[in-house]
Order: sequence, then C-alpha cells, then structure tokens
Amino acid sequence: MRDETMLELLRRQGVSRRGFLKFCAATASMLALPPSMAAAVAEAMATARRPTVIWLSFQECTGCTESLTRSHSPTLESLLFDTISLDYHETLQAAAGTAAEAAREAAMQNAWGNYLVLVDGSIPLKDGGVYATVAGKSNLQTLREVAEGAAAIVSIGTCASYGGLPYAKPNPTGAVPVSEIITDKPIINVPGCPPIPVVMTAVLAHYLTFGTLPELDGLGRPKAFYGESIHERCYRRPFYDRGLFAKSFDDEGARNGWCLFELGCKGPTTHNACATTKWNQGTSFPIQSGHGCLGCSEPDFWDAGGFYNTLSTPITPVTGAATAALAAGAATGLAVTLANRRRKANARRAHPEVTIDDLEK
Amino acid sequence: MSGLGDIGIAVQEPGGDANARAVLREIETLLERLLASGEGGSIDLGGLPLSGADYELLEATLGHGEVSAVIDSLGPTDVIETAIPGVWWLTHCNAAEEVMAEFIEVGWCPQIVLAAQEDVSDGLQRLRAALKEDGNAG
Amino acid sequence: MNAMELLSWSRGPGLGIATAVFLFGMLLRLFEIYSLGRKPDLAPARPNSPGSGWRTIISRSVPEAPVFRRSAVTLTSGYLFHIGFFIVLLFTVPHITLFESVIGIGWPALPTPVVDLVAVVAIIAMLVSLLHRLLDPVKRFLSGFGDYVAWSVTFLPLLTGYMAHHHLLPDYTLMLAIHILSVELLLVLFPFTKLTHMLTLFIARWYNGEWFGHKGVAS
Repeated sequence: MRDETMLELLRRQGVSRRGFLKFCAATASMLALPPSMAAAVAEAMATARRPTVIWLSFQECTGCTESLTRSHSPTLESLLFDTISLDYHETLQAAAGTAAEAAREAAMQNAWGNYLVLVDGSIPLKDGGVYATVAGKSNLQTLREVAEGAAAIVSIGTCASYGGLPYAKPNPTGAVPVSEIITDKPIINVPGCPPIPVVMTAVLAHYLTFGTLPELDGLGRPKAFYGESIHERCYRRPFYDRGLFAKSFDDEGARNGWCLFELGCKGPTTHNACATTKWNQGTSFPIQSGHGCLGCSEPDFWDAGGFYNTLSTPITPVTGAATAALAAGAATGLAVTLANRRRKANARRAHPEVTIDDLEK
Repeated sequence: MSGLGDIGIAVQEPGGDANARAVLREIETLLERLLASGEGGSIDLGGLPLSGADYELLEATLGHGEVSAVIDSLGPTDVIETAIPGVWWLTHCNAAEEVMAEFIEVGWCPQIVLAAQEDVSDGLQRLRAALKEDGNAG
Repeated sequence: MNAMELLSWSRGPGLGIATAVFLFGMLLRLFEIYSLGRKPDLAPARPNSPGSGWRTIISRSVPEAPVFRRSAVTLTSGYLFHIGFFIVLLFTVPHITLFESVIGIGWPALPTPVVDLVAVVAIIAMLVSLLHRLLDPVKRFLSGFGDYVAWSVTFLPLLTGYMAHHHLLPDYTLMLAIHILSVELLLVLFPFTKLTHMLTLFIARWYNGEWFGHKGVAS
C-alpha cells in the first residue's frame, strides 16, 4: 500500500478517470499552474509514490496547524492528507508517548532519504536548548536527528522560517529558525503568522506531485505565492496613488475604504498572497477588513517599529541620540571657542608693539 | 447596550469588472484558434481576482446554452454549455458542495465529459460479468 | 543581511547615528561662526539707513535683471531644484508622518500627484545644473571634488525616493532601505560640505546687510 501511486490509490477507492481528472485540474489550479499543465499534473500523479511526511512542532503557538485544519478542507486537501502518509503529528495524531515516538522512528527508517519533514515553531538554543523539550529530549536534537534522512524540509510559519515571535527582542530563549540549524538539506520557507492554508497545501501538493521544490525567492519562499507584495495587488492602491489616506480607525477616510498607510500598513514591504488568494476561501484579508497589514510573512516583523507606526517612522526614537548630539556639540563648541579665544589673545599679546620711533630708525 | 447588529458596516465590493472583459477577450481568441486548428483551451477562473461585478458580466455575456450536465465523481461537477457554442463553464465541487475549482473550457466537448479508456474497459468487464450471471440465471 | 534587516537598521541605529552626526556637526559650525565674532566697526552708524540685515536676506533672494540675465541657467535650475526639494521633503505624507513622530507635530500634505510632478521637475533641474556645471568652462574650472559630492548626496535621496514611490526596482523593501540610507548619507556629510549653506546662507546675508546698512547702503 505504501508504494501505491496517487492514481492507483484513487482507483482503489473507486474513483473514475473523470474523478482523477477533476482532482488533477483542481490541484493544478491550487498550485497556481495554468490549466494546460493539468496533463503534467496527471502524469505526475500517475507515477508518484505516496511519500512519508513527518510533522515536527517546536516552539510555536499551534496557529499554523490550526490554520491548516480549520480551513474547511475541501475534498482536495483532505484527499491530500489521505494520500500522504502523515506519520507523525503530535497535535493531530491519536497515538501518544513512546508508542508515537517509536512509530516515527519506524517511518523514518522505512523511508530513509525520501521523507518530507514539516516543521512549525522556532528552535531555542539557549542553555542547551532546554526551553523546548519532548520527554527530556531537546527540540534541537530532535530536529537534527529527523532531518538527517529527510529529502526536504518545509518550514511552516514565520517562526520556523525566520524565528518569528520567540525571535523578537530580547529573544530570551535564543530562538532560531530551521535554516540556521539545518544547512545541508533543501528547505522551503512558507512564512506567515499563520500562513494562508491553501498556500501550505499547495507547497505540499507541488512537492508530492513533482517531487521537486517550487521556484524559491531570495528568502526561500515559493515565488508562486510570495513573489509579489501586498501593495502591488492591493485593491486600495488607487487611493494610495491619489494620496487619499485614512487618518484614524473609523474616520471618514476609513469608512470610504481609503489607503491604510498612515495607520501602519506594512503592505509595501510584505510579500504574500493575501491580496489575491485572501483568507477563508477567498472571503477577505486584513486590509479589506479595514486593518493595515502586519507584515507577518517577513523576517523581524515584530521588531519593525510597531504595527500602527508607518513605514516611514523610525523604529527606535531618535530623540535620545539627538539630545546627546546637541549637548556634545554645544560642549565641543564651547571648548573650541575657549581655545580659539585664548589663541587670539595670545597672538595679540605676542604681537610686537611698534612705535613711531621704530619706524623712523 | 447596543448589539452587534447596531454596528454600522459598509460592505465594499472591491474593483470593477475589467478582469471579466479580459477573460472574454481570451475566450474570443481561443474560439478563433478552435475554428482554425481544432485546438481549444482552458481558463482557470480561480487563478484570477474576479469580483462580483466580474462574474455578473461573464454570466450576462456568456449566458446558458443547450447543454447541462452533472458529473458525480468526488462530488458534483456542473458542466454547462454557454449560449456561445464551444464555450463550456465547469464548476468542480466537493462532496460538501463547496466550489473547489472553476474553469471555462473552449472546445468541441470538455475533456471530463468523455468516457475514458480504462473506465470503459472496467465497465466492459462488469457488463460481461452481469451478462454471464444473466446467462446462468436465465 | 537581507533587505528587511537593512531596512530595519536604516530605520533604527542608522537614523540615530545620522541625526547625531548632523546635529553635532551643524551646532559645531554655528559655534565656529559666532564664537570669535567680528571686529567692531568703530565708525558711527549712518542715520536713516535704507539697508539692514533682514532686508538683505529677502532682497538677495530676488536677483536683479542684469544679474539674472548673466546667470539665467544657474538661477532658474537652482530655484526650481531648491523649491522642489523642499516641497517634496515637507509635503508628502510619509515624510510628514516621520516628522510628526520625531518632533510631535504634523501638517496637511499636498496631493500625491502634485508632489510627484514637483519631484520630477526637481530631478530635471538638478540634472540641468550638473550638466551646466560640466559644460560651462568657468563653472567647470571652479568646481572641485566637494561640489560634485554635494550634488550627488543631494540628488540620491530625490532619485531613490521617486524610484521607491513608483516601485521602479523589483524589490520595494530594498529600494526603501536604499532611499533611507541615502538620506542618512546626506545627513552625515552635511556639516562637512558646502551644504551647511542651508544655515550659513541666511547668517551671511544678514551680516552683510547689517554691515552695509551701518554704512548707509541698501544691499
């Protein structure tokens, strides 16, 4: 059973060729591929083996798992999770304790070198990684062990991708993203706090269908979903271009749907699919609901100067530096003044007196 | 104390119907190609940011033609031929009748409607088995 | 360091350093100008003098016709650039929110398309002034390294700001970081170049006007 292809699995479940075509068309749509690629998807599904997937949860809030499971799970996504062999997920699995750990080890051994590892949450390093442990074993050690035989790692959510909330100042647990610990395996970052569910599923579907990583940008994110910024696709862009901004929540401008730049929207510097794919099966996204973008799929978004401070304001106030500079300038100025005055006085004193007698000599 | 219903909200429909016009132009091009070379094409409506006004324009322009079909596999899929022959509107739903994907296909007949080789051979096996039983019984 | 880290640095420590150097340097310059003073003019002031320091500040802002004719390109491009630069700096929304967060008060902005046009005019004026400096034999002869540095550090914020607003480079985050860093470069080099004329210009005009006024001349 483990070696079945997707097509064989569907046929075994009594799904006709029509159903298979429908599945492939919907998958291609979800992967943001053109419809002409549905045939390629069908080809891949007919030959791809059911892969093993291990989900590791580290220093996280479980929001990423919630996002993925709370999506209304159209048949496509549940089918996807039926067809992948999700061999280990602490929150979702029925097993617990040593039995679960044993199952994980067995799955790893069976598929050594070929299994996919999904990670959500950051990994604390301080004090030997003691701030996140399972049964006395640090998450750091678990990650290293499980990653050894992985074919690829998907960092789900901003915590696993860039450190996220635990990484924010002052980072008391020494949290780091997955990419700082594992450097010898391909890593896909799927950031967001949480990521859009369909983005998570699409990345998995891409890997499961084609067996390769999708095209990634400079920060390791799939270009299909993170290639553009929110600002580039925002429907409120005409207001930005015309200079019409809401000044406070629920004022006239806000009620008219004007741009939220002055209310701290980080749309221009945030890359994600929120403005096109949206949330809750395309219902809405923060800006459409009247709140500025938090920038949650970018590194260090917690330390980017406050959610309600605009992109043009300083992150740390400059008044301290300014006062110090003025004081230092005044002090140096006074010192320079006194030195110059003294030099002038000395010069005047040293200047030889010339009398009319000297001249007549 | 006022309730949630008293909070004044304005429901905004973002955007106009410019995207729909672009889709209609693409359908025009695909139809021309179909007539010239026999090869049609497909447009994924889910891949475009279409607003309510976009859908209204598409539905108003394309209309409903002679053919309606429902394919029951992994949930219902509605196939209708629009009032423009050769232009088909496919809506794939899951078992809970939620829309999973929507396509506009331009062609003589949508691929998914045709019977497939392996399904036909499976069906033939089943028919032969049923006839053999009939033969035994009768 | 990725683009986001660069942007966060430019909005954090970078801005602090640049502001500190700018304020320190400018204050030091003011001390240098005022601390030694000038020799007192022992002659009595002419009565009913038409000239004064305040008058000269304004009168020298409007050149006489023969002066204008002789340096038309310099004066026109100079005025267009200066006025344009200050409109863009002070009347576009992101800048106003920046000032509001630093000094506590804001003011109304001009419509974005208007400021956009003004920015284009200012950029063209700057390019014309550079071209003129390079082509006119006298100006070329007089120009030194400091002049070209001053032109560059003033041009970069205008250009990068315009580019950032219009998303002309693929990565907006990087473009915004470059724009803010170019402003910080300008601030850091400000007190050490002829750009100090921003303050000293008015001091110099006032002094000249007073000196001439003392002698009974309106200048």
